[in-house]
Amino acid sequence: MSLTEQRPGAVTAALAKDRLGIPSIVFFVVSAAAPLMVVAGSVPTAYAVTGVIGVPFAFLMLGAVFALFAVGYVTMARHVVNAGAFYAYAAQGLGRTMGAAAAWVALLTYNALQLGLYGIIGSATEPLLLDWFGASPPWWIIALAAWALTGVLGLLRVDLNGRILAILLVSEIAIVLLFDIGDLAHAAPGGIDVTGFTPGSLFVPGVGAALATVVAGFAGVESSVVFAEESKDRHRTVPIATYAGIAIIALLYSFSAWAQTVPTGPDGIVKAATEQGPVLIFNQAGAHLGSAVATIGSVLFVTSSIACMIAFHNTTARYIFALGRENVLPAVFGRTSARTAAPIAGSVLQTALGLIVITVYAISGLDPVTKLFFTFGAFGGLGLLTLLTLTSIAVIAFFARAPRGETAWRTRFAPALSALALGVIIGLMLINFDTVLGVAPDSVIRWVLPGIFVLAIVLGVAWARVLKATRPEVYANIGLGPQALDGDTR
Amino acid sequence: MWPSLVDDLYFVLHDSVTGHARLHPRLTSLALAGAALAELTLTEQVTVDLTTPHDRLYATTQYATGDPLSRSLLGHIIAEPHHPVGTWLLFFARTIYADVRSRMVAGKLLNPPARHLLKQQPAAPVDPNRAAWPLSRLNLTVQRGEPPAIGDRVLYGLLAATGCAQRVMWEHDPAFMTAMTAALPVPLRRLLAQTKIAVGQAVISRR
Repeated sequence: MSLTEQRPGAVTAALAKDRLGIPSIVFFVVSAAAPLMVVAGSVPTAYAVTGVIGVPFAFLMLGAVFALFAVGYVTMARHVVNAGAFYAYAAQGLGRTMGAAAAWVALLTYNALQLGLYGIIGSATEPLLLDWFGASPPWWIIALAAWALTGVLGLLRVDLNGRILAILLVSEIAIVLLFDIGDLAHAAPGGIDVTGFTPGSLFVPGVGAALATVVAGFAGVESSVVFAEESKDRHRTVPIATYAGIAIIALLYSFSAWAQTVPTGPDGIVKAATEQGPVLIFNQAGAHLGSAVATIGSVLFVTSSIACMIAFHNTTARYIFALGRENVLPAVFGRTSARTAAPIAGSVLQTALGLIVITVYAISGLDPVTKLFFTFGAFGGLGLLTLLTLTSIAVIAFFARAPRGETAWRTRFAPALSALALGVIIGLMLINFDTVLGVAPDSVIRWVLPGIFVLAIVLGVAWARVLKATRPEVYANIGLGPQALDGDTR
Repeated sequence: MWPSLVDDLYFVLHDSVTGHARLHPRLTSLALAGAALAELTLTEQVTVDLTTPHDRLYATTQYATGDPLSRSLLGHIIAEPHHPVGTWLLFFARTIYADVRSRMVAGKLLNPPARHLLKQQPAAPVDPNRAAWPLSRLNLTVQRGEPPAIGDRVLYGLLAATGCAQRVMWEHDPAFMTAMTAALPVPLRRLLAQTKIAVGQAVISRR
């Protein structure tokens, strides 16, 4: 080696030790998606609410669409410094005004996904408490306990550490697969039926409603790019981790959703899911594998839901912090707790919203699983798809100005196809939004909820215009992430 | 040159009697790293290359001088002159907290950390008055509206960058504060801006 050759120095080597490899990022990403919670909570609810038996195919199809979306997404992540969030992409591709609009949509989306989780924790915990103590408090007491835990951990800035997440995730996946095997070994009298995997079983009236449920199960995979700055090799680690995360989620969910139909047969699943709800798979497991395995599964269902809650709480709080620091939200949200370095204002706001939602649902007596978990999940899912569509268009616009050595497939065709597919899915979801909400087709509420996103976009655009007119220096920084502060002294 | 900027910052960020930290260790480390680089900039041993997009830091001297800690920092910067300020902040933040503490213990500014019943006690200042002085000085300057010394302006900038200023300053006058750092030489302002960025990323980071 010649003396002039530049070797990786001590600094790079020392910092590289702290960086994340592919497995760490996959763990972060998949655990935010909370496999057991989706398989036990979302899937039976999807069967029950929509009556569509093509849920397994829906997971595969959405997995393909997400993968298509990821092509352009990870390509742009290579060229955008601090690819923190969707709004950064929208801002850099479509302009700062659209960036602000995307920020507001994202804020609504993550809030909805986080708040909806308070609806599932009760029914996850109740069977265990009944089993152990013979009695269980109402769902909202359990939800409040989870809410308090999440709020406190959020303020203390406790992220479940990587190793605990990994152990939880591996056991969750193991138990889900074990349940699946149990289901397969106890097929309905009609034999093993693969109807759920056929496109025909999905594309029936109600397809949009089924898709709406399934989308929320993927929430979290888009977070892979925020690790770009902390990854070992941003050109390789992040794309591979993203595709791996999507593949694991799509295959696991699809297979498990199908396995649930095996003991009942495709004809019986809707009835069984309606009657039993989130305890369906644990009842199945109890019958096939014994009550001990079912109990382990129930415990993991609870831990999975709590881990997911904490993950989404912290993601949302950080998101609010980032927006506050950029002054897209009031600067108070950019404040941190000195002692714990937690994004304190964002965290408190998130906790306050949680209390409001739990209180409203407890007082009005609405069903927490279908009306809170499922509705908020579908609402968040709609927001997520809106963001993905915006981002795909932003990718095309970004590379249209300069291809930066990337191929046309990555910068044009894949994002265009994904925007098209996402647009169609959003359309299908809107057609069936009455089914998702469980209201009459002529009900106003089915248009009010999607309308909230339109309102968010309009308000975001208006806010950006106000910023542009009154505080141009803040407007100029929209979408630059923490680097935004970089501009002030240059 | 007065007592070290790094030592002053250490005192500001810790209770002057008990030695308990006022700020999360990760942010404290970043602030101390920023102070150490600012000290090297003030003594004209390093500077920021403003022609590069990422604020490259390089040494303006060939030979590292000063106490062992500054020598070690400067030695790293001389050996690898191609890194941006942000990278150096992250690199030095890994070790600087412990290094500064041992230097201050060796310099009889802090008592050696004691161990009580398995729990590590923080290193308490030897002289609480000496420890309380830097923060009081900053506060008095603001209160009297006097033009602060350049080192105090950097100190203030670092407190603002870590979000600690609101907690430790008696009165918070954003306009005066902004004016305090705005008149600093550009390399120091870049350094403060990069520290603020590093702090933001540390808060957002999931680890």
